[in-house]
Amino acid sequence: MATENPYAQYHVVRQGDTLSKIAEEYYGDKMLYPKIFEANTDVLQDPNKIKPGQKLRIP
Amino acid sequence: MRFAKIFVALVATTLMTAGCASQKEPAEKAMAQVESSVAEFRADAEKYAADELQKVDQSITRLKNALANKDYSMVVKAVPSLNSTIASLKQSVAAKKADADAMMAAATAEWTDLSAKVPQMVEAIQSRVDTLGKSRKLPANVDKATWETVKTDFETMKTEWTDATTQFASGQADVAVRKAREVKAKGDQILSKLGMTPA
Repeated sequence: MATENPYAQYHVVRQGDTLSKIAEEYYGDKMLYPKIFEANTDVLQDPNKIKPGQKLRIP
Repeated sequence: MRFAKIFVALVATTLMTAGCASQKEPAEKAMAQVESSVAEFRADAEKYAADELQKVDQSITRLKNALANKDYSMVVKAVPSLNSTIASLKQSVAAKKADADAMMAAATAEWTDLSAKVPQMVEAIQSRVDTLGKSRKLPANVDKATWETVKTDFETMKTEWTDATTQFASGQADVAVRKAREVKAKGDQILSKLGMTPA
């Protein structure tokens, strides 16, 4: 099992968040949301379905 | 009268020669012992007390010359003092070696920690830099000047990390650790500039 990178950044999903919004917040560009989805396929099956409280890694 | 003088001179010379000859063996033995005791720790002395070793070597050379000139009594007289100098040099070398070993152990332990952290830091920053490089706009917390600084600092950080690992591999653990600390500090600054709060 890979060791978790202590310098990785995480975002806890809030009410009203979308991957696009999160991508805009961290990258300045909502079109980069697939980056976040790809980094979190262990917890996300669909980029349009995220739930408040989910902890997402922001690569 | 003349015969008496010659006789006395002959006796004196014989006694002197006999006296000198009787000191030859102890002198040679003492010198061999001196050289052997220095040989025991020469390698460490060259590393930790080169100047003091040089002085001891000069004394040994002087006594060897005296030995070659058959001045055995001078050798026998001088060896005890030289032995005492050698004993104190040996002690000083042992103490310096112990200090150096302790420093090396501490540096190696710190390196183990840094060599685990810094590559993870580089990986996290690289990922963000790559993504921001594809972004059409920078995030609100990163302005253009900061972004340019980050890119430059990150390249420097990677180069310096390569230097540190090379230094460590070549046995310069203390130098490598100093460099690695600087690299980590630079990494912390970059993370902060990018707003990447560690988990």
